[in-house]
Amino acid sequence: MERQPILRVLLTGWTGLFLVFLYSPMVVLAILSFQSGPEGGPQFPIEHWSIYWYRQLFNLVPASSVAPLPLGSALVRSLTLALTTMVVSTVLGTITAQAFRRHFRGSGVVFYLVVLGMMVPGVLVGLGMALTANYIGLDRTWWGTVFLVHVVYTYPFAFLVMLAIFNRFDRSVEEAAWSLGVSPITTFRRITFPLIFPGVLSSMLFAFTLSYDEFPRTLFASGGDLTLPLTIYGTFSVEIHPNLFAFGVLTTLFSFALLAVYATLMTLSVRRARRVAVQEEIA
Amino acid sequence: MSTATQDRAMAPAGKTGAPRSLARQQTAGRWMLLAPGVIWMMLCLVLPMLMMIYVSFWTQTTFSINSTLTLDNWAAFFSTPTYLDSLLTTVELWFVTLALIFVIGYPVAVYIGLFVRDKTVQTSLLVLCVVPFWTSFLIRVLAWRPMLGTDGAVNIILLKLGLIHQPIEALLFTQYSVVIGMVQIYVVFMVGPVAFMVSRIDRSLIEAARDLGAGTARIFFTIILPLSMPGIVVGSIFVSVMVLGEFATPSALSGDKVNLLGNIIVTQVGSLKWAFASVCGVILTVLMAITVVGLLRIVNLRREI
Repeated sequence: MERQPILRVLLTGWTGLFLVFLYSPMVVLAILSFQSGPEGGPQFPIEHWSIYWYRQLFNLVPASSVAPLPLGSALVRSLTLALTTMVVSTVLGTITAQAFRRHFRGSGVVFYLVVLGMMVPGVLVGLGMALTANYIGLDRTWWGTVFLVHVVYTYPFAFLVMLAIFNRFDRSVEEAAWSLGVSPITTFRRITFPLIFPGVLSSMLFAFTLSYDEFPRTLFASGGDLTLPLTIYGTFSVEIHPNLFAFGVLTTLFSFALLAVYATLMTLSVRRARRVAVQEEIA
Repeated sequence: MSTATQDRAMAPAGKTGAPRSLARQQTAGRWMLLAPGVIWMMLCLVLPMLMMIYVSFWTQTTFSINSTLTLDNWAAFFSTPTYLDSLLTTVELWFVTLALIFVIGYPVAVYIGLFVRDKTVQTSLLVLCVVPFWTSFLIRVLAWRPMLGTDGAVNIILLKLGLIHQPIEALLFTQYSVVIGMVQIYVVFMVGPVAFMVSRIDRSLIEAARDLGAGTARIFFTIILPLSMPGIVVGSIFVSVMVLGEFATPSALSGDKVNLLGNIIVTQVGSLKWAFASVCGVILTVLMAITVVGLLRIVNLRREI
């Protein structure tokens, strides 16, 4: 079937169109972020090219009728939240997956309970959390209730990643270390952790990006202090300006930087693992 | 943390050799590892969902809400055309979006999983599909506005190509724009799982079928489609859950003309009508549960992982 030339050509063309469909909005957005300012609107034609809207994000231009986006404190909140969520959900995911290394009664129930966290739509989790917080008289804050529901969302991802890692993990290596009298802490540091490190890294990446961009859960669970997505959502109802597009381009670049860090760390860890393996072979 | 439990479990085994106390200690250790996650999920997921069901029976007045139980909210939901309409719109848009995602995404997944032989190219194509996710979700939704507007990129290109003579106004702030936006955002969740399942198909199976005289259509319907079914199911679950819970895309791309259940919830919470919002939430949950359970009937997922 995969050798039929007509089918192959058709599918190649289809996939090409698909990629155009996937990317064109972002390309258009990036082009329009270079719209002239402050009078240029969020649509074609480009009056003349400028970086006005980028400078406006950093308050480098004189005040105009277009108010700057209130991003500063929102950015700090979102980053803090994402980092905390990342650490907590990775730890939770790892220890839960550790418990799953041997089959036990009730494993199905626990499995689905955890996976439910990524299955229930965000708007419902947010609503439920807001109701619960109101009921018990808890203040809704980005560092309290929002943090709780972000972990509900990211922890299942970390759990599934770590489960996949442990499934491919040869436990006899650990057992060999114990039987040779190596202390549990050293075993974990020298044997277990390096083996599960790629998984930990992936869990952290998942958790950070999901939390950083999380919106529906945050909407109801947060109080007056806004996170980054909430600030962007606030611009939906009013007129949008190209400063939002410029901001979109910058956050995308930030994500790519993050991805590059991840890729570098991953390559290093794979390379080290390979070197260890080669040394063992020589020995 | 991991090794500590193992160690404790192993130590008495060597000294006393009592398997029962070993098993008991292993169980205790395991539940200590499970407890934080389980407690977190019970308190922050299960309890809030139960709370939502509970509040849906509370008494809602214009300015306040109290915990006297009543069926009024439920009666109001099923007797108000606005709510019933939004329930219908939700189901309708969900079907249309899911169908379009399947039609658009499935061929792409088959191409990536089966037709691309080179593993590096295969991975690169999948990465290309995921890259848009590195832009903020809300920005990606907003990006459709300059695409679809009357002066938008799509209209400009169609006019230049001479395919149309007047800009199509129905593209933005209609149901179409909402569907287009949701398809673009969620289609990857179908492509990924299906491509994964298709790439695992043993190629000699296809060759054997061809040697025995099976045509392309026969090969597709007896080998590729059934073997990619788990991917379709996983993809459909992802897409359904996300589309059913949507409210940001409609509110950004329909100019508040399309109201899904999610939008009703947001509006109700905005006017502090928590009980009505909860009713919509419970209905959404039921809809979702039916969908997921129905889809899981088709394949046994835990066996596939």
